[in-house]
Amino acid sequence: MDESVDTKKKGRLFRLWVIFLIMAKIGCFTFGGGWSIIGQMQNEFVEKRKWMTEEQIVDFLSLAKSFPGVMIINMSVLCGYMMEGPMGALAAAFGLSAPAILAIAVVAYFYGSLKNNVYVAKVLNGVRCVVIPIILNASWKLKSKSLVFRISYVLFAVSFLICAFTNVSKPLVIVLGALLGLVIWRGVNEDAAA
Amino acid sequence: MRMLLLRLFLSFMKIGFFSFGGLTMIPVINDEVLAYGWMTADEVMDIVAVAEMTPGSLGINCATFVGLRTAGVLGAIFASVGVMTPSLTLCMLAAHFILKLKGNQVMEHAMNGVRPVSMGMLLAVAVTLSQTTFFTGAGVQWNLIFIAAVCGILMFKTKITIPQTILLAAVLGLIIG
Repeated sequence: MDESVDTKKKGRLFRLWVIFLIMAKIGCFTFGGGWSIIGQMQNEFVEKRKWMTEEQIVDFLSLAKSFPGVMIINMSVLCGYMMEGPMGALAAAFGLSAPAILAIAVVAYFYGSLKNNVYVAKVLNGVRCVVIPIILNASWKLKSKSLVFRISYVLFAVSFLICAFTNVSKPLVIVLGALLGLVIWRGVNEDAAA
Repeated sequence: MRMLLLRLFLSFMKIGFFSFGGLTMIPVINDEVLAYGWMTADEVMDIVAVAEMTPGSLGINCATFVGLRTAGVLGAIFASVGVMTPSLTLCMLAAHFILKLKGNQVMEHAMNGVRPVSMGMLLAVAVTLSQTTFFTGAGVQWNLIFIAAVCGILMFKTKITIPQTILLAAVLGLIIG
């Protein structure tokens, strides 16, 4: 990743390595949500190397958000594909995931033996509590994007009741939500927002 | 072993396909890993906290953790690739047909339905987890409710980051947990 090297003169394999290494570097700094990686990708691929344009980043971001799966992996696949085709997509996705996989491997290695230590158990007790406000906080943050229309509140409430009190499979609930979305908003103008 | 690897791959592929961003994965992850007995509800919460403090997204972290613990390194690889499958397939197709998909109304309408539903699911999982965490066989865990309340108020009212909040909860846990 030496900046003085003119990467344009190097071959395809070299570009794939650069994509992998940059994405691995970015993957090390995605603590608590992936939004910062968009900025880092823009900095590395648009500003420093000019392998992509600003507009592509913006277009891909809206796609990455609306596709299922991990948003930042979606984003890496789209950008990697744009720069170097299918191999570029693979290099970007696996580059980004490599640090996460290594970090968790270390945690998993120690987890089993440390879990029952009395002090570790106390720490984990505290940590588990904080997961609940974290989830509430995340749910609250979705509000502005999710509860746009009056009918959205109904969908939200029904989904909450179904998931809290029945064992209906979650994928089914999501598919029903998508189908209802298609039926309800068919032919509705976005301006009709409540 | 081969069956287990296949099941890990398929389960995490399902998790990938039915999650739309960040923590909305939790309800689907919860159902899958509990159904197969791969993790306990407590362990899922531990891994959510770990995922928030280590690099990478919850989906990848969870896949690696579950895969490693059930089937070693190969398991980790199969589960991680599984959770990445929607990105690798759908997004590659999308990148290929990018112009046709730009400003796609159909996708947007479906997402109008998916978003509130995901939010409801997430809130429901918070309620379920509260029940199992705060109201155990040993009665009401007031000390744990206190930790959750302090951290929750800080999170909503101040600019404290999530890793910082988790550290605070760890310290509080050590003292009164």
